[in-house]
Amino acid sequence: MSTHTQSPAGNNAAPFDGWSSVLRESVKEVFSLMVGAEIMVPDHADPPVVTEVTGMVGLAGELCGVLSLRCGNGCATKIASRMLGVPISEAASHMSDAIGEICNMVAGNFKAKLNGMQDKCMLSVPTIITGGDYQLFSVAVADRIELPFLFDGDAVWIGLEIRA
Amino acid sequence: MSIRALIVDDSSVMRKIVERCLRQAGMDLGQVHEASNGAEALALVNENPFDLILSDINMPVMDGLEFIRHLKEMESGKNIPIVMITTEGGEKSVLEALSLGAKGYIRKPFTPDQVKDHVIPVLGSQS
Repeated sequence: MSTHTQSPAGNNAAPFDGWSSVLRESVKEVFSLMVGAEIMVPDHADPPVVTEVTGMVGLAGELCGVLSLRCGNGCATKIASRMLGVPISEAASHMSDAIGEICNMVAGNFKAKLNGMQDKCMLSVPTIITGGDYQLFSVAVADRIELPFLFDGDAVWIGLEIRA
Repeated sequence: MSIRALIVDDSSVMRKIVERCLRQAGMDLGQVHEASNGAEALALVNENPFDLILSDINMPVMDGLEFIRHLKEMESGKNIPIVMITTEGGEKSVLEALSLGAKGYIRKPFTPDQVKDHVIPVLGSQS
């Protein structure tokens, strides 16, 4: 996937300082509690970006943007397998549902951790894209957070585009 | 006697996780029924006696708040305790669900113990 953004406000806007750590904590909690497995922050180099499955949830209201999760098919299936407690062979058909729920819970957990944001921001129904040959265009993006993780050795990238 | 439970969520994965949490919490569950929205759930309530309903809020067709409104108007549904399980854990959503008759509220992500802590008192209050 490639991303093109018109960003009048530029990156690293001051109001979003500290949100990376909040988002990282939100992701780790969701995986620990709902997937039943720890998701790791890479020690050294960032893992490669593998975009075979993309989950997205929109945020609207005082906090406006898109939260995304990108990973490979195998990783998405492993996540579904762990969530459901079923073998990998039975989990493939639940992959999209599982990734959508992860996005939904990460977005919900993230906004719950932002002081006063819980009632001022609504979440959309999750959207899942399978395949990586697409481009995502966003307008009026004020900031973007991209966080790498490793799930059972596979790369998982969590993104948050915040709109001005 | 086994608990007859209905789990309402548009995510089949989440329905399975909720059921697993109930079982991990040591609850004696009988057959667990599932519905993917409020309208499906109302149809099941018409046909089956339930001791407990756990429901999401954000669902297509009929959301969880609308579901409670209809449920509380039904002779067969008005006394079934309902606990909401949702990512929308804001004060406004909490108050609205409780004012409509929900007995409790669990925010995703959750642990089996959190589910148990919210569900056991609700079941106890019905006896």
